[in-house]
Amino acid sequence: MNVIEFLQIWIAAFFTLALFSFLYKDNPFYKFAEHIFAGLSAGYYIGLVWHAVIQQQMIDPMVNNGKWWLIFPGLLGVLMFSRFTKNYHWISRISLAFVMGNTAGIFLLSELHGKVLPQIQSTMLSLSFNQSFGAWLLALVVVIGVITTLIFFYFSKEHKGVLGGTARVGIWFIMISFGAHFGYTVMARISLLIGRVQFLISDWIGSVIRLFS
Amino acid sequence: MSWLVLAYVVLILSGFALLYMTFKTNDRRFIYIAVAFYVIFPVLITLNLPTEISPEARQLYDAVEGLPDSSTVMLTFDYYPSTLAETEPMSRAALNQLFRKDCKVLTMTTIPLGGPSIAERVTREMARKYGKTYGVDFVNLGYKANYVAVLKGMGSSIETIYPTDNSGTPLEQIPMMKHIKNYGDIDFIFVVADNGILDYWMSIVNAQYRIRVGAGVTAVMAPKFFAYLSSGQMTGLLGGMKGAGDYEKLVNHPGTASKGMAAQSLVHLFIIMSVIVGNVIFFIDKRKRRKRA
Repeated sequence: MNVIEFLQIWIAAFFTLALFSFLYKDNPFYKFAEHIFAGLSAGYYIGLVWHAVIQQQMIDPMVNNGKWWLIFPGLLGVLMFSRFTKNYHWISRISLAFVMGNTAGIFLLSELHGKVLPQIQSTMLSLSFNQSFGAWLLALVVVIGVITTLIFFYFSKEHKGVLGGTARVGIWFIMISFGAHFGYTVMARISLLIGRVQFLISDWIGSVIRLFS
Repeated sequence: MSWLVLAYVVLILSGFALLYMTFKTNDRRFIYIAVAFYVIFPVLITLNLPTEISPEARQLYDAVEGLPDSSTVMLTFDYYPSTLAETEPMSRAALNQLFRKDCKVLTMTTIPLGGPSIAERVTREMARKYGKTYGVDFVNLGYKANYVAVLKGMGSSIETIYPTDNSGTPLEQIPMMKHIKNYGDIDFIFVVADNGILDYWMSIVNAQYRIRVGAGVTAVMAPKFFAYLSSGQMTGLLGGMKGAGDYEKLVNHPGTASKGMAAQSLVHLFIIMSVIVGNVIFFIDKRKRRKRA
């Protein structure tokens, strides 16, 4: 391990512990780490956008390959800055209109073909008895779950009587879904903690042990 | 071994004690100390608790395993450094399998903060292990802004979207890229992501270009993407550290995710225990108050 790697590990360990110190209470170490993170991210992002977008996708093709028409999307981008003026902020709507129209056009087809239709198709399951009991039960749960959940989101009639009872079943399905999401979220957060603890023990404390051995 | 059992008995008892202190003082910091105990101890003393490989992980493994040797696979690094604990083991396990099968690996990212450097570091480390050569066996395309345009544009021409690789070498000078022009030349896409980008891999690339997509996502994202799995649109799914651990087991290279699963299981047991104890105390308190009234 060279000096640079050693320093990197110690800086990472310092910031990890500084951020964890918030669990005890708010303190200057936490604030320092938080501000450094925000500043570094913003600086890195600006540099990256300049290099990967403005330089690589606009300036270089215009200068090296003669793609002069790239000046138009560039101008649309510049127009966005008119939002910072009082009298000319309306000009930015031209760029926004282009972005909105473009995005709507792209997503209309992809959402329909990639999400809506296949997902509807996958919930239209056969409830015939010409299948195993397990498959039939699963299909029944899916069909009941989809119908009752959709009814819960039907607000044009008061949820009373049969409609109310069906919507209540829908709530149960939604609650079970929330439970599954919550369980996975707990797992995700604990995983992040495990990752940091693994770093502190094997890399940080490990670097000290390696230094003295 | 007996010392280990004793240590775990002490750990469980201290968990109960800290839980008691939490309820007594109403100070959540005792919970933090308990969780820290349950995470640090299994990391310090390696404990192997049994875990079953999920069918979704096996489906993904089988799909990649079923590809002919030397197939071209795109592996994405669509994640931020903050989720490395869950996602990096997935990328490493995937590269273990892909390099073992002599696949041509094309890496890319749609994440600006950290994505390009993580892809570079992980892929080069794994390539060194398998003796793979850059430009012949693997290429890192790096990052390009506007993921919708990137995902859609690569369907026509990868070179138009990425005129150069991550280090600035024109794609026309890279031997591996001579035969890879668009999605039609890619056999499988392995997305590792910690955000909604997977939605677009499915709705733009899988739906429109009919390429099989398998994915590894953070646990927070996993429930949402099970819908794609049950509809048959997605080919296999790894969910969080558990999914990463499963894949490490499948490729027979246990790593940080497999090691972290013991801590994960212990913390989950502690949370279940806290919920039960908390409810019992709540109902006892309620009964006492009712009697007093």
